[in-house]
Amino acid sequence: MFVALITGLATGALYAAAALTYNVMFSTSKVLSVTTGHISMLGGIFGAWFISTLGWPIPVALVGAMGIGAVFGLLTDFIAIRRVLARSDEHLWLLSTLALATMVQQAAGLWWGTEPKPFPRLIPQDFSAGLGDQKYWLPIVIAILLAMALELFYRRTLYGKLFVAMSEDAFAARARGIPTGRIRSMSYVIAGAMGGLAGFAAGQLTFAYFALGLTLTLNGFIALAVGGLGSNAGALVGGAALGILSAVATYFVGGEYQQTISVGLLMVVLLVKPAGLFGSQSVRPV
Amino acid sequence: MSLSARDVTKRFGGLTALAKVSLELKPGEVHGLIGPNGSGKTTLLNLLSGYYRPDGGMIAIDETDISDATVQKRAGFGVARTFQKPRLLPTLSVLDNAMLGGWRDARAGFLSTAFCLPQVKADELALRSRAEELLHGVGLSHAINRRANLLEHAEQRFLEIARGLAQRPRFILLDEPAGGLTPAEIEHLGAVIRVMRESGVGVLLVEHHTDFVFRISDRVTTLDVGAVIKRGTPDEVKRDPEVIRVYLGA
Amino acid sequence: MHLPKKSISILVVLAALIALPWWAGDLYKLHLAALICAYWVLIGGLNLVVGYSGQLSIGHVGLLAIGSYCFAILAGTHGVHPALAIAASGALCALCGLLLGLPSLRLPGFYFAMATLAFALIVTEITLAQGTLTGGGVGLAVPGFAPPFDTPRGTYWLILAIAVLVTWLTWNVARHTWGRGLVAVRDSAVTAQAVGVPVFRAKLTVFVFSGFTAGVAGALFAVLQSYITPDTFVFDLGLFFFVCIIIGGRGHILGPAIGTIVLTALPEMVAPLAKLGNFFYGLLLLAVVLLVPEGIGRVFELLIERFRPRRGESHVVKPDLDRLAKAIEQGRAQ
Repeated sequence: MFVALITGLATGALYAAAALTYNVMFSTSKVLSVTTGHISMLGGIFGAWFISTLGWPIPVALVGAMGIGAVFGLLTDFIAIRRVLARSDEHLWLLSTLALATMVQQAAGLWWGTEPKPFPRLIPQDFSAGLGDQKYWLPIVIAILLAMALELFYRRTLYGKLFVAMSEDAFAARARGIPTGRIRSMSYVIAGAMGGLAGFAAGQLTFAYFALGLTLTLNGFIALAVGGLGSNAGALVGGAALGILSAVATYFVGGEYQQTISVGLLMVVLLVKPAGLFGSQSVRPV
Repeated sequence: MSLSARDVTKRFGGLTALAKVSLELKPGEVHGLIGPNGSGKTTLLNLLSGYYRPDGGMIAIDETDISDATVQKRAGFGVARTFQKPRLLPTLSVLDNAMLGGWRDARAGFLSTAFCLPQVKADELALRSRAEELLHGVGLSHAINRRANLLEHAEQRFLEIARGLAQRPRFILLDEPAGGLTPAEIEHLGAVIRVMRESGVGVLLVEHHTDFVFRISDRVTTLDVGAVIKRGTPDEVKRDPEVIRVYLGA
Repeated sequence: MHLPKKSISILVVLAALIALPWWAGDLYKLHLAALICAYWVLIGGLNLVVGYSGQLSIGHVGLLAIGSYCFAILAGTHGVHPALAIAASGALCALCGLLLGLPSLRLPGFYFAMATLAFALIVTEITLAQGTLTGGGVGLAVPGFAPPFDTPRGTYWLILAIAVLVTWLTWNVARHTWGRGLVAVRDSAVTAQAVGVPVFRAKLTVFVFSGFTAGVAGALFAVLQSYITPDTFVFDLGLFFFVCIIIGGRGHILGPAIGTIVLTALPEMVAPLAKLGNFFYGLLLLAVVLLVPEGIGRVFELLIERFRPRRGESHVVKPDLDRLAKAIEQGRAQ
């Protein structure tokens, strides 16, 4: 039972991290990017490659994985968001980010192989640590750290305040002379680095696997919608709820119905409170 | 028979957009609704056509309360409207756009349409001839088969009116129909509105061009900051000191 | 003048398709043609959802899988007559479409797309978990059609006939009042409401219809595969259906049909493309979205428009008031 619970919590933490990544990109562009999960997938694969194949020291590999994420984030903005936001059709960003996500996933599969490969140990630790194993608590710690760092960033720094201003009213922000295009690119870089970090930290749990992206895009979104779009605390709670629920379900029903159960949770939440547990906005503007 | 707003109040968050506003639109009359920007004209129009629900008071047809009826239901009661910024289907032809107005008159359901039963052909013929007549009528003969995204602004406005008329409305609500038109086109618009009136349609005219409104309206209601400051014939309203102060003053 | 030309070209294409077994050459190409037709049965129905009503469903592969398993279980395990099994597959998937659409079609675009993605993953999960029914990871053998459709040619003709039927049905919907209503739902929900289109019900209706065609397509697809496992129905397939429509152009039937043919046949003809697989589809989708969001069909339209210069087109509005009065009065008299 405890193993199931801690596995669930760790997986939930990864979903929460993906939800945070969604939030950062959404705040400046009002776009929910399909590439969200793929950022973390890249972080995991490149992290494993940097350490195992290239033999980089772990801190360097960590920075490298975050860098890859950041570059991919910037590319997402540059290729899939920038040109599309100028058009009026509200569905185009969904198509462009979906296209980019598909390309990245397939490219990763061709290059890395379609089999999950193990992710190296990050901290020297015996494999007999059981519940205290780093593969469980690393993602949890990282998700909580990310959420706290984001809150600090929004409240304490000038750029963070610009993000908030833009998320509340992009039009007014532009009218006041805020360089909205640059702020948006920056948010995608930050989101990319966050996603890369989360994928790196959760690597031992998920393995370095090319198909992780799509599941993470979906489940991160479920965590986000359960917690409430735009709320960072909600993202954490949503991820944790998702993780605990699937752990309990795995224990009682067996592990076959994970996806069914998480979607069930989402449906219940959307029925009871369409804006999510911590959401203030209605779902309309999406 | 009339479409009316009775003491309606509408709030957005803390802001009261309309406070106890009443307005009655009768068939066969042109009712002008004027007021400065932000006075609540479009809000009132959205309440009448069903895009908003009132927070107080009611919207009625005759004595029937229709405050909670959806936009679609109101279309069924004979309420049609146009939009401040024309909302057409850019990829369809002008004729198709006008025929869309006849949606409620097409009796064939989805499956009968899929199997192209005789009813579908009958619906199609009736709608097509009605739409064509209306398009010729409002002056779009030259553009019937053109894609709607190729239309110029004035043509889009007249196409929206044709689409509204294709709904066979008892009341038509026009949201700033003269916006962006040349003086000659405004004359045409005025002529079209008069024909609607003579055919027994009630026309609500929300407009900035006060001269135009005073010229063709039978009655005029003036709003300011969400309240009615004067209603009456164009001459009465024109001479009202309050109206002159808040609206025509400058 | 115009209509006969159109009818003649339709007849020529139909004749060529019926005669395909004699000019296609080998059995593999015939199989490929049958596969394209089976895909089109699904894509044709999905086109009303994605191309006309603008609801971006990326998970129709889930419905395809349900249709396939339903056919395999009924016709294979229980020996039900194949024709009946095909109809049952369609009916079951129409029901699934209803159950999926009821909650999800009320949600905004991204939520809906994610719901269909989740649906596809759930179907895979259930087929794996319900091993006694579906054979789990091992899969199920699928019987062929009943005579006279049990030969490769017979199979092709049957599937072709169903594909043509679906094309005709969707074409009828698209060019009449319903088609205009759906385009209104896609391009301007506000306008759709204003003229009285019941937005949610219209979306749900075409979604259920697309469920039915997806179920039938599933049955046909299963026969062509002759053996199905959960791996037959990877999510990428759902993406492929979706991409065919977007690339062919929303609001058209011919465009997505050509998209289906080209995107199915091209990787078979050009080996390197098959290796790239989804990367190629993703790239195409991205290029179309960035360059011609209305689909490749629009490129041809624009080219034609360029070669047929508009000779001083008038934009002058000149109302004909007598005609207008007559038209309004006629409408009010009805």
